[in-house]
Amino acid sequence: MFSLEDCPLDEDEDAFQGLGEEDEEIDQFNDDTFGSGAVDDDWQEAHERLAELEEKLPAAVNEQTGNGERDEMDLLGDHEENLAERLSKMVIENELEDPAIMRAVQTRPVLQTQPGSLNSSIWDGSEVLRRIRGPLLAQEMPTVSVLEYALPQRPPQGPEDDRDLSERALPRRSTSPVIGSPPVKAVPIGTPPKQMAVPSFNQQILCPKPVHVRPPMPPRYPAPYGERMSPNQLCSVPNSSLLGHPFPASVPPVLSPLQRAQLLGGAQLQPGRMSPSQFARVPGFVGSPLAAMNPKLLQGRVGQMLPPAPGFRAFFSAPPPATPPPPQQHPPGPGPHLQNLRSQAPMFRPDTTHLHPQHRRLLHQRQQQNRNQHRNINGAGDRGGHRSSHQDHIRKDPYANLMLQREKDWVSKIQMMQLQSTDPYLDDFYYQNYFEKLEKLSAAEEVQGDGPKKERTKLITPQVAKLEHTYKPVQFEGSLGKLTVSSVNNPRKMIDAVVTSRSEDDETKEKQVRDKRRKTLFIIEKTYSLLLDVEDYERRYLLSLEEERPALMDERKHKICCMYDNLRGKLPGQERPSDDHFVQIMCIRKGKRMVARILPFLSTEQAADILMTTARNLPFLIKKDAQDEVLPCLLSPFSLLLYHLPPVTVTSLLQQLMNLPQSAAAPAPSNPHLSAVLQNKFGLSLLLVVLSRGEDLQSSDPASESAQSNPWTEVMFVATRELLRIPQTGLAKPISIPTNLVSLFSRYVDRQKLNLLETKLQLVQGIR
Amino acid sequence: MRLVTLSLILSLFLSPEKHLVLLRDGRTLIGFLRSIDQFANLVLHQTVERIHVGKKYGDIPRGIFVVRGENVVLLGEIDLEKESDTPLQQVSIEEILEEQRAEQQAKLEAEKLKVQALKDRGLSIPRADTLDEY
Repeated sequence: MFSLEDCPLDEDEDAFQGLGEEDEEIDQFNDDTFGSGAVDDDWQEAHERLAELEEKLPAAVNEQTGNGERDEMDLLGDHEENLAERLSKMVIENELEDPAIMRAVQTRPVLQTQPGSLNSSIWDGSEVLRRIRGPLLAQEMPTVSVLEYALPQRPPQGPEDDRDLSERALPRRSTSPVIGSPPVKAVPIGTPPKQMAVPSFNQQILCPKPVHVRPPMPPRYPAPYGERMSPNQLCSVPNSSLLGHPFPASVPPVLSPLQRAQLLGGAQLQPGRMSPSQFARVPGFVGSPLAAMNPKLLQGRVGQMLPPAPGFRAFFSAPPPATPPPPQQHPPGPGPHLQNLRSQAPMFRPDTTHLHPQHRRLLHQRQQQNRNQHRNINGAGDRGGHRSSHQDHIRKDPYANLMLQREKDWVSKIQMMQLQSTDPYLDDFYYQNYFEKLEKLSAAEEVQGDGPKKERTKLITPQVAKLEHTYKPVQFEGSLGKLTVSSVNNPRKMIDAVVTSRSEDDETKEKQVRDKRRKTLFIIEKTYSLLLDVEDYERRYLLSLEEERPALMDERKHKICCMYDNLRGKLPGQERPSDDHFVQIMCIRKGKRMVARILPFLSTEQAADILMTTARNLPFLIKKDAQDEVLPCLLSPFSLLLYHLPPVTVTSLLQQLMNLPQSAAAPAPSNPHLSAVLQNKFGLSLLLVVLSRGEDLQSSDPASESAQSNPWTEVMFVATRELLRIPQTGLAKPISIPTNLVSLFSRYVDRQKLNLLETKLQLVQGIR
Repeated sequence: MRLVTLSLILSLFLSPEKHLVLLRDGRTLIGFLRSIDQFANLVLHQTVERIHVGKKYGDIPRGIFVVRGENVVLLGEIDLEKESDTPLQQVSIEEILEEQRAEQQAKLEAEKLKVQALKDRGLSIPRADTLDEY
């Protein structure tokens, strides 16, 4: 590129001068943007030099292939140093902030120390070779990072800021290597990321790094293990083969992949020094063997992590017998295979304490069966022979143990954690109820028959302490303002749904009706949830502490009041609420069923009120119930209620029910109310029950028997008259016929009419 | 879900036996279950897709299957002894595919007739497309 000054165009000198000034400005801009390198250094020359180098180096490699690694390394080391210098000059200050670049830059000086060592593995070699080919190949960088991750024995980095920046680098699990061998993941996909310790930043960060301000790892994490392995539980769990394990002492430290990652990560940052935080997380059950092996683990275990290349793959898949599993104590050869198999069954002890004992029994039975099968395969006596046959079996199926025990444990741990709940009745209602029913059945059967004594285990639900995780949304450091990131825990409002109530004027009649129905439905739903809560109080009462009980009782009472108000339609200022509200509810099938369920909870007066209202409006309700035919469900709560009602109420109830005229003197021409009632199953049944109750009250109370001016007696007279008048056509079949009706009617009517009544109402059993 | 995964884990760990997987689209896969994860994604080895038509069935070897967890309906172990003890008759792949095609054809015809009959009476039932599953 020739500068503008050399431009042969001489047309406009002024323009050139102007351009020349611009040129200076441009240079200034360049300087600002690219730093001194763009102006002072001739990047062209540097580039050319690099290109020469590129040509030289591969040649050098080819020449010296035979001479051995060390010589090669040395030669290349020199070139490397030159390269490094130049590149570092080229790297501009600002780019030091970018973690991706820094990672690349940082690894370069690192490898200079490696080449000398004889212990360098194949990975090292390939790295260096690759570096030779072209440092500018960007896609090699991730490769480096993964390998770096996998080689935790690297001595601490020289320059301080490098280490800081490496800590700051994005989690490595997000990178994927571009190597020929299968992508090796030290941490399986889906593992929650290791919690990044917030490092102290010396430099100003230009690119904001998301600092995951997560709540601390839920203590539940170690809890399952702690719970699981408590000695009491171990003893209580049937068929605990852990006790009778043939390899008692050498329990392989089965660490989950997460812990493995933590170890690796920890080891990398501070080789030789264990941060206590990591081991705090290690679950209790591997506590003791782990503690013993701590020093060994880091060096030995980490050393284990560096097998030669084919071994690396094998680390994750058991088959090749060359790779021993992590614990070094076990004999090599066929041992590991056997060990793997044996270690599977007893090591895996899921936390089944929350499951129903029957369920747990079934599971363990099955477990045991399978274990026995395997044991049979293994053979108890002649180990050698059986071992070989088992080996054959294994050899034929080399993929059998593709999943390591720790991986299986990890998955099952996740599943178990999901199963734990603070309130099993809430979370797993149907499961709990099903097993309760089974239990009751078996208990009933046991009582009946003289079966063998089954263990009458009570379902004790372990209460896992409810941990309050206050979710703090992700905060970006160094960003201006608060960025909102929506996630599952922090959902963002997408639609602004505003409820608008329409004015009454421009509504049509139909709409009004529809709205009213909707309101009724809504009230039913609200009341239903209150009802479910109230029904649940008994259970809560049993589970609660002594101090909490009065509060619970009050809550319950309050809810019952609310329910009643909802039913009757609480209207302030009105002394006697209208029946309309209640009738509306009763028109809906769900409402009727709900009322039937609510009745037992209401006080006698309230319930009586409900009953009266029902009786008053019965024909209307009957008409509405024609399709649903749900009214009969109300019969049993009503009859139950009737037994608590005083005679006065019963009398008035009867009046309401039959729509009897107040004065006994002049009977109305027809009584459609009564006929409607009688023609309906529920109505007739209710009537009969009421009559029966009245009769009971009469007969039980000797004082009123003699009194002729008993209101009941009067009503009865009228009632019988009405009943006689009603034509027989279309009378319903009642649900149940009380037995004392004949005696009831015999009081008030003569023989002839009694017979009539009997036939009409089919009171005598023989007729039916 | 919970009980399924629990027993799934146990069955997986304690027996390297063949498993039968039923998928949501109705396919039946039989193979060795090699790996699972918390979403019930499955890795099946030496998988065979078994097509049933009437009393006949045919196996199509498929190799390695990776199934996404949400598509699994159920999964069960196969008792190797009882596997051969079945009243069903195994036929060749071509035959079973032929049978399946014929069955599908017959079904389509029946469906068409039904829809036509309904249309004649003034009714129309919207066809459940696979896209409208949810």
